[in-house]
Amino acid sequence: MRSRIKRSIKHNISTYLMIMPCIILLIVFVIYPLCWVLRYVFYSYDGLHPEKFIGIDNFIRLFSRDRDYWKSVYNTFVYAFGKLIVTVPLSFFLAVLLNSKIKFKDIFRAIIFMPTIISTAVMSLVFYFMFNSYNGIVNQVLIKYSLIDTPINWFGRDLAMVTAVIVAAWGAIGNYMIYFLAGLQTVPEEMYESAKIDGASYMQMLTFITIPLMGPVLQVVLMLAIIVSLKGFQSIMVLTGGGPAGATDVMYLYVYRSFFPSQGEMSFAPQYGYGSAAAVVTALITGIITIIYLRISKSHFNKY
Amino acid sequence: MKEPLKNLLHILLDAIKYIFIISFCIIIIYPLLYAVLGSFKSNYDVMLGGRLLPEQWMFYNYVEAWQQFDFLLYTRNSILLGAGVALISLFVSSMAGYCISRREFWGRKLLKKTILATMFISIGTVTLRPIYLLMVKVKLHNSLWPVVLIIVSANMGTYIFLISRFINTVPRELDEAATIDGAKPFRIYYQIIIPLIRPILGVVGLFSFRAAWNDYINANVFTMSKPYLRPLTVGVVSLRYGVMAAAQWHIMLAGASMSIIPMLIVYAFTNKTFIAGLSEGAVKG
Repeated sequence: MRSRIKRSIKHNISTYLMIMPCIILLIVFVIYPLCWVLRYVFYSYDGLHPEKFIGIDNFIRLFSRDRDYWKSVYNTFVYAFGKLIVTVPLSFFLAVLLNSKIKFKDIFRAIIFMPTIISTAVMSLVFYFMFNSYNGIVNQVLIKYSLIDTPINWFGRDLAMVTAVIVAAWGAIGNYMIYFLAGLQTVPEEMYESAKIDGASYMQMLTFITIPLMGPVLQVVLMLAIIVSLKGFQSIMVLTGGGPAGATDVMYLYVYRSFFPSQGEMSFAPQYGYGSAAAVVTALITGIITIIYLRISKSHFNKY
Repeated sequence: MKEPLKNLLHILLDAIKYIFIISFCIIIIYPLLYAVLGSFKSNYDVMLGGRLLPEQWMFYNYVEAWQQFDFLLYTRNSILLGAGVALISLFVSSMAGYCISRREFWGRKLLKKTILATMFISIGTVTLRPIYLLMVKVKLHNSLWPVVLIIVSANMGTYIFLISRFINTVPRELDEAATIDGAKPFRIYYQIIIPLIRPILGVVGLFSFRAAWNDYINANVFTMSKPYLRPLTVGVVSLRYGVMAAAQWHIMLAGASMSIIPMLIVYAFTNKTFIAGLSEGAVKG
């Protein structure tokens, strides 16, 4: 066995040299930091004072005393759910429209996909200006057309999350639309033709041919949408910074803050050990949701 | 008798279709227009809000941003970051993709599984702290190299699989013939495979350039105490937290446009590649 491995390595020196850059990057930038985090889960460490082993105290604190963290978990679910119910149906609908006979198809498609290529952080800053309550253009347009009387406080306690979802949806719809379009194009044209001959209406073809055949693509899109919205915090970080008073704080932003405390106007004490514990729990929550989703969708789609 | 009615209904439905799509396109374009047109307004004009078009075209905003607010430097950093990430991503992932698709070697399955696992396990930006501490030790923390390598590693997995899947569609006879002629693996990769997989290399190049140009969080962490290393995204957003933020909206919009416009120009020429690359991943992946 060992000699065979040796021979394989000797025989393939050039192959190993070619994958070396990839392996080095994996070890230094992915595996090593992961191990570091897994170690500091059991330590109290702020980067200044010497580290101290404290067993599972970080987890005890996280599960029993840290209400802010669990609020951020709750907020993450609200954010992800909100984003999902806005983006997925809308992007599917747009894909169906763009897949039908329509002029300037390529131009519409290119425009709707456009937000995907622009920096989320920069666009969040622009939206921050646009939604500004006293001189933002959104309020001014709404007032001009008499849709509202007084300016809406888009970043207030009640609406900050709605604003965050709107901004996220603006950036995400084009992406999912392309996935749906790719899926729609795999549906053979003959199916529609024979259905048409049988006298099926447009709505019937949509419900009985298109939607069932889109199952696998829908599954991919939903999974991506769930993972991305559970993980995404860049836009919220720039838009609201998690405020007001934690109303839009999401779990990855919470974790980020314990490692890089001085961000914007708020300042916290760094806590690498505790942050590591929160990060691991957060990753587990994300992983569990993904697995549950995969299980449900698998048993569901096996019925067909 | 019924025919004209049916036609009318058809026209009506078509009209609704177009109205819906066009109004959605307007929603998409509006914020971009707001940013780009706003960057030509005076600060007073921006603060007043209301109109989309500037009252007076202030081209000077850009001069001010470049000279007084270091945006010349930020632009340079963004270009370096984008080019560095694109080149290194292409180099690393095309070689790895080739080996995974074509070479039989000990550890191949393990490598594949590890790459796949890293694509799914994510503990977020937490890993930036240990990487930062490591970079301080090897004295790389005063350059953009850590940011380049972090962005490459974060997306490498996707690119490797895209490329190896593409190589799988290239007929094996080509490199088998070359092997019989005595060509070494690296030569086969360089002279046979690379020219044949240009389309997918274009996709990888574009995607990785975009990831780097638009990156905010990685660059933000690594340039917190070193403003001269900031790319455009970080430079723009950092103004928001400055003491003078209220007086600099026009500068922020000019900075935002400097980040947005080059990407839009790239997109104008390559939107087919972008969309094709994404669809490729969706249907098969």
